[in-house]
Amino acid sequence: MISNMNFLERIVYILQKYGTSYLKGAGTTLVIALVSTFIGCIIGFLVGIVQTIPVDKKKDSLPKRIFLAVVNALLRIYVEVFRGTPMIVQAVFIYYGMSQVFNIQLGMWQSAFLVVSINTGAYMAESVRGGIISVDPGQMEGAKAIGMTHVQAMINVILPQAFRNILPQIGNNLIINIKDTSVLSVISIVDLFFVHKSVSGALYTYFESATIVMVIYLTMTLITSRLLRLWENRMDGDENYELVDVMDIGSQLGKKRARG
Amino acid sequence: MCTENVILEVSHLKKNFGNHEVLKDIDFKVHTGDVVSVIGASGSGKSTMLRCINLLETSTGGSILYHGEDITNPKIDAPSYRAKVGMVFQNFNLFNNMTVLENCMVGQIKVAKKSKAQAREKALQFLQKVGMSAYVNAKPRQLSGGQKQRVAIARALAMDPEILLFDEPTSALDPQMVGEVLEVMTTLAGEGLTMIVVTHEMAFARDISSHVIFMAEGCIREEGTPKQIFEEPKEAETREFLARFRNV
Repeated sequence: MISNMNFLERIVYILQKYGTSYLKGAGTTLVIALVSTFIGCIIGFLVGIVQTIPVDKKKDSLPKRIFLAVVNALLRIYVEVFRGTPMIVQAVFIYYGMSQVFNIQLGMWQSAFLVVSINTGAYMAESVRGGIISVDPGQMEGAKAIGMTHVQAMINVILPQAFRNILPQIGNNLIINIKDTSVLSVISIVDLFFVHKSVSGALYTYFESATIVMVIYLTMTLITSRLLRLWENRMDGDENYELVDVMDIGSQLGKKRARG
Repeated sequence: MCTENVILEVSHLKKNFGNHEVLKDIDFKVHTGDVVSVIGASGSGKSTMLRCINLLETSTGGSILYHGEDITNPKIDAPSYRAKVGMVFQNFNLFNNMTVLENCMVGQIKVAKKSKAQAREKALQFLQKVGMSAYVNAKPRQLSGGQKQRVAIARALAMDPEILLFDEPTSALDPQMVGEVLEVMTTLAGEGLTMIVVTHEMAFARDISSHVIFMAEGCIREEGTPKQIFEEPKEAETREFLARFRNV
């Protein structure tokens, strides 16, 4: 009967029969993308922060310098390996490798979160490092000049500015992850793309199902990028500011003094 | 200058960048209440010397004694030393992610461990002093250069520094903004704040400072009272340098 329908009728038919499956698949895709991007950002920030710890030959002890050098070398390897190989291969490698080599039986979900997170982390590490380096060095000097330690300066001054600089990158990664979780179907994650493969396999409606899936992916990414733009604008704050009445401040001071 | 109450004693200070000797052999003392102006041509090492004093550059030789303690020792707790020695930069270096008020509070809260209310009161007090209290809610990018520099001075003052270092505080400013910053600095000098000022403002150095240091090629060529340096310079180099500013 489906062979007698036209394109639109087929789409309606598929949606009636499998609409909830598509929505569930889209939900899975979104959850994996959001959670993994979040974890990936945390990994990226940690790696980026460690990689920008200044080393002073004169002031830092030898063990500390060696430790930092080793950690940095390992982090470089991590970044290069996960940036330099396809995620679809990483998924298979980790899912089967964990069970065969380490005898750890990872669930599909755990593997999915793990693969996408560390993949995102590798990309974010470079973005974070770049974001930190691109903050004017004068900001760090200003912070040090009022007595802040490197850690205090990073937390209060540098990272907030670096975060704003790399927010577009984070958004980019989130959108890439929404699309690229489709490769996780190789480890049988039932995401949007997996639903598409099942439906089109059952009904032989590749074009119609692909159309539906295209629309759903595009909707998710468009909404995401719009929300991220709103967030960026919010972080930039108001272009205007209120002048405060000097007398007002004086009276505030007076009150505080009177109370204290 | 009296001999007691020495805050800072710089002796045989050296600084190399690679094989380039920027500071050769710097000796001088700063006493409580001194306003020391450091003048000299660009590239004579003035700023580098100031940055060495605040440990933003690591000196390669000599010593800097702060109340008798050598702060060039690598073991020194640099952050707590810097909290007592304020610095005002040529490019302001206000924190771009904070408002004017937050700029003046963050050091007090995070470094001096004061309560928010205390920090706020003190920040407002110094912002009022530099005439910037109306702008507490503004972000640095919304201010003019002169305004930024006055906020930077308030930020440094809010830490209760024992000595304040100025690294060419007016060099990045338009001529009409130089005055407002110098006015604030003159007030501070009048109140007895100990200051080291690297400057190209000869009138300020002559009228406000208690001691003037003339630097050339990484050395102190001549030093003395403003009267000695500006009216009776002994060295030919000093006279030559000052001649270029005579019309000021």
